[in-house]
Amino acid sequence: MRNAPNRAPTIPFESARKRSLHVALTAILIAAAILLSGATASANTPTIRLFPTTVVEDLKQTGNVARDMETGLQEIIGRLDQQQQLYIESKCDGAEDDSGCQRLARQIGATYLEMLTVMEERLPDMEHTVNNTRNSLEKGLRNELGKKMTPWTLQETLLGSKASASEVTASPTLRGRSGMRLSERFNQYYQLVATSGAKGDQSLAVLASDIYLDMEETSLLIQRTRQEIARATLMEQLNQSFGIITPEMIEVVGGVKSILFGDADAVPGVSGPPPGAIEQAYRSPLEQ
Amino acid sequence: MPKNLTILVIAFLLTSCATNSPECMGPQSKNLDTAIDAAQTALINGCHAHFDRYYDDLLSIAEGDPKPENKRAFSEFLVWSSDEGLLSKRQAQEYYNRFFNVKFMTLKGDYNNCSQTCPNKRKVLLDMERELSDKEQGLLRVSLDNEGYYRADQLYQEVELVLEATCTACSAGRR
Repeated sequence: MRNAPNRAPTIPFESARKRSLHVALTAILIAAAILLSGATASANTPTIRLFPTTVVEDLKQTGNVARDMETGLQEIIGRLDQQQQLYIESKCDGAEDDSGCQRLARQIGATYLEMLTVMEERLPDMEHTVNNTRNSLEKGLRNELGKKMTPWTLQETLLGSKASASEVTASPTLRGRSGMRLSERFNQYYQLVATSGAKGDQSLAVLASDIYLDMEETSLLIQRTRQEIARATLMEQLNQSFGIITPEMIEVVGGVKSILFGDADAVPGVSGPPPGAIEQAYRSPLEQ
Repeated sequence: MPKNLTILVIAFLLTSCATNSPECMGPQSKNLDTAIDAAQTALINGCHAHFDRYYDDLLSIAEGDPKPENKRAFSEFLVWSSDEGLLSKRQAQEYYNRFFNVKFMTLKGDYNNCSQTCPNKRKVLLDMERELSDKEQGLLRVSLDNEGYYRADQLYQEVELVLEATCTACSAGRR
């Protein structure tokens, strides 16, 4: 009985302990459920980080800069084409001493200089944004695919969960980028990257590789073009006094046109799958 | 004495004939199941050293009657070979996957791409090209798995592109 008063308060105390234990257990269960659902969600989302937000912004910016350059050059290149046509129609080839032909050649040279000036003004911006994109992608590719993956895991990433060829053909095919305006090309990249969240890792790896190699090539081309512009400008200034059209001029204009506005003849065909698809129900126990 | 010597020589020749290795003729039938039976008999009767040749012969025979079920026949033949101790399990997997799976066994490796694959990129791609040719035989010409072969071809092209970019990025990191 002496213990009775003591025992009496222990009952609510024990029930309180049980209640708090119950609350704690429930909390742990809820936390575990949240963690599990988080883990499931993250398993469904791409695990490789190849396109940070900066890349998306850089692509957009590059597209804008390319469009500005195209707008600036389109009119000049159109004029150059007309002048060259007139030069040919006037049968000036081989008649360089003719004063009329010399005047035409000077006009072409002046337009060519104008084109070089516009390019000289726009190219640094272009180079800056292209290099930024390339550097971000380079880091991502090196870390995510180069250092964190073995050749086997890379293969599995590329293969993804795509079991059928029909799903493969639905993914973007970008190789062979000529035949497209530069701004259009970057716009397409931007659209693909901006909506890449819905795609699997396998598409992202191919997309990032394709854009990176293109940026690398473009960056090199811009670098070379910038080096050439100074030399070509000086040469043309000298030629102006003689009224000469050099083959180099025609070649440079042709090159600029194909880079900026695409070369319609160079659009590659995409091969289709061989006909017939047979259901493959059998899986060997040896299959890896 | 010379008579005894002659008997000994004849006895020796007879014994040596008995221990000679078998001829190990390739399967003669054009029917895959019969050919597999013949190959199995030969392989467990001392012809195991010629396993590669038998496997090639069976593939050629299967090309004569291509069908999806051939995959199972080859898988069962390889599992049998592994059970009989003619091949290790790893070898059996290598034989099967090289010819009948989309994945490339050439890309087996435990080290990262920057350190392992990139320094040997050309060799890796060349080996993949050879494996693709085996897959053409196994998937396309033996099993009529056009879709599987197309996927392997696509995978080869993707690996080529991704490795070119990744290896450029790896070497840029070292600059």
